[in-house]
Amino acid sequence: MDRETLLKALNKPSPYGPDVDLSRFNVGLAGEGVLEEGEVDKISSRLGLGSGLLRKADYLQVNESVLSKFMREKLTERGAVVLPTSEALKKLDWVREYSWRLVKPDTDKYTAATKLYGNELGFFIYVPPGIKIKDPIYTCLFITRKEYAQLLHNIVVVDDGAELNLVTGCGVPDQPLGSLHVGISEYYVGRGSKLTYTMIHAWAPDMVVRPRTVVKVGEGGEYVSYYVIYSSVESLQTYPKVYLGEGAKATLNSIVVGVGKSVYDVGSAIVLEGKDSAGEILSRNLGRGSSLIYARSRIEGRAGPSRGHIECLGLVEGDNATIESLPEISSSSPEAVLTHEAAIGKISEDLISYLLSKGFSEEEARAAIVKGFLNIEEPKLPQQVREVIKRTIEYIASKAVG
Amino acid sequence: MLELREVDVAVGKRKILSNINMVVKPRELHVVLGPNGSGKTSLLNAVMGIKPYEVIKGSIIFEGSDITQEPPHVKARKGVVVAYQIPPPIKGLVAGRFAEELMRRFNVESSYAEVLSEVLEVRDLLSKYLFDKMSGGEKKRLETFLTLLTKPKVALLDEPDSGVDVESLNRMSEALKVALSKGTSMVLVTHSLHMLRLLRDHITSVHVLYGGTVVHSGLYDEVVPSIERYGFSGALTQLARMG
Repeated sequence: MDRETLLKALNKPSPYGPDVDLSRFNVGLAGEGVLEEGEVDKISSRLGLGSGLLRKADYLQVNESVLSKFMREKLTERGAVVLPTSEALKKLDWVREYSWRLVKPDTDKYTAATKLYGNELGFFIYVPPGIKIKDPIYTCLFITRKEYAQLLHNIVVVDDGAELNLVTGCGVPDQPLGSLHVGISEYYVGRGSKLTYTMIHAWAPDMVVRPRTVVKVGEGGEYVSYYVIYSSVESLQTYPKVYLGEGAKATLNSIVVGVGKSVYDVGSAIVLEGKDSAGEILSRNLGRGSSLIYARSRIEGRAGPSRGHIECLGLVEGDNATIESLPEISSSSPEAVLTHEAAIGKISEDLISYLLSKGFSEEEARAAIVKGFLNIEEPKLPQQVREVIKRTIEYIASKAVG
Repeated sequence: MLELREVDVAVGKRKILSNINMVVKPRELHVVLGPNGSGKTSLLNAVMGIKPYEVIKGSIIFEGSDITQEPPHVKARKGVVVAYQIPPPIKGLVAGRFAEELMRRFNVESSYAEVLSEVLEVRDLLSKYLFDKMSGGEKKRLETFLTLLTKPKVALLDEPDSGVDVESLNRMSEALKVALSKGTSMVLVTHSLHMLRLLRDHITSVHVLYGGTVVHSGLYDEVVPSIERYGFSGALTQLARMG
């Protein structure tokens, strides 16, 4: 794609989410990004990842600097690769076949800016055929600089018959930065292979966040995602799209907890391209403060037999939050069976009364109900990852309000 | 232990119960009978302090203290716990984890939980979400289990028998006997004469609630056979004649 087209695309807003003037942010700066371990720990604890991340993360990027890129011995021995994308593109010719193929650089101003000014920062992960990496790989992308644009390009390739459990934590210290985070993610799940992807976000009230994710799942492959955002943000807009081949499966789980005056426009889309494919979108949205949540979901049935289901639930705490649930199902195949259910409500007084009668205080009752509401059990995630999610949900529930 | 002194109950401005008196001593089982709409559920909810039921006159004394205006969770922590007639489903809250939480809060030993779980046959229900996708009978068994699991000093049981098959009624009765033997007193609202027969030897007193007030209190043999034979209104006439 020529530079002129990309420069033109810098003025192309996304069809969703508030439009943002990119001139607010500094792009293309080389960053030092050296952090004290204590500072890293502060961000990682906000993400439920605990302390000591500097020593255990498989990939840690702060601003534009890659601070650690540990290749665990067992991964090296098994032929897996974890590298900054820029390095992977330089060292490994074949990586180009996967770069900017699922996400077109001129999709909108954020993709164009990342292609033009991002310097291919971000992570590249490759898992060779038949290799099953059960232990999660942790990648962490942090921002500490003010009015800065972190423009990332991540590529993950899980080759045929392989397995990867990936956890990504993106965050900032709990302080005003006024920065932008864009993450372009292109994930390839091979034939009969499996990728689980857990992403936890912890931002600040003036952050602008625009992830762009497209996933392609080959024949008989499986993709499971679990997304949690529970912090303030100026605005966050994302609409990951997953294409399923023959017999492929996907489950997309998302938990959005709106706080402050934040705007969250979070979607999930599955395209059933192959026969016998199946997709499910589960979302839980909790509106607090005067937050605004758009919960979009879409399943397209292009081949059959296939099936898809959307379950989108919203809970409004307090009087000023708003949740808009927008589930869509669309089919061009007579053998695609697509269903959806959506509901928005407040915490039922009946439930509170019941828990009061069993000795819970009102505050404890609200916390228990919120915890239950947000609890999307995903047995396909590794136990360690489920623990991270559990800790995060417990933290969110402990902040339940009337 | 638990005493209701001239209690009047209202929902909003509407008075629904008048001049209720009852004294429940340790290890006693009191039964409340009455036709539909007579105020049995309202009575238990008012004792517990569950909205919108409000005690507008009289007092509830528990272990010598006036707990009339205490909030429900404080009463529960003191040992007065109600079992709901229709407990609400709470999606996402796993029944087993909730049971563990109750055991922790009320300091209940696991051997007691084991016994109750076996008698009420709730083991399979503990992996489900609380009261979600359960039959009526399953909900009743689980709610009775959770209530008794708190080892209450006084359990207020609101129709644990309704919609329950005979096998489950037997189990329910066994569970109540276990709790009675461990020192729990009970106020049991029921329609099941079968269950009353099973508990007959443990029943201290039967109270007949009619038109929003207790019109008669007496022993099992005095009250239940008469209701069985003549129905509520007929039995009350008979009981009045007997003085």
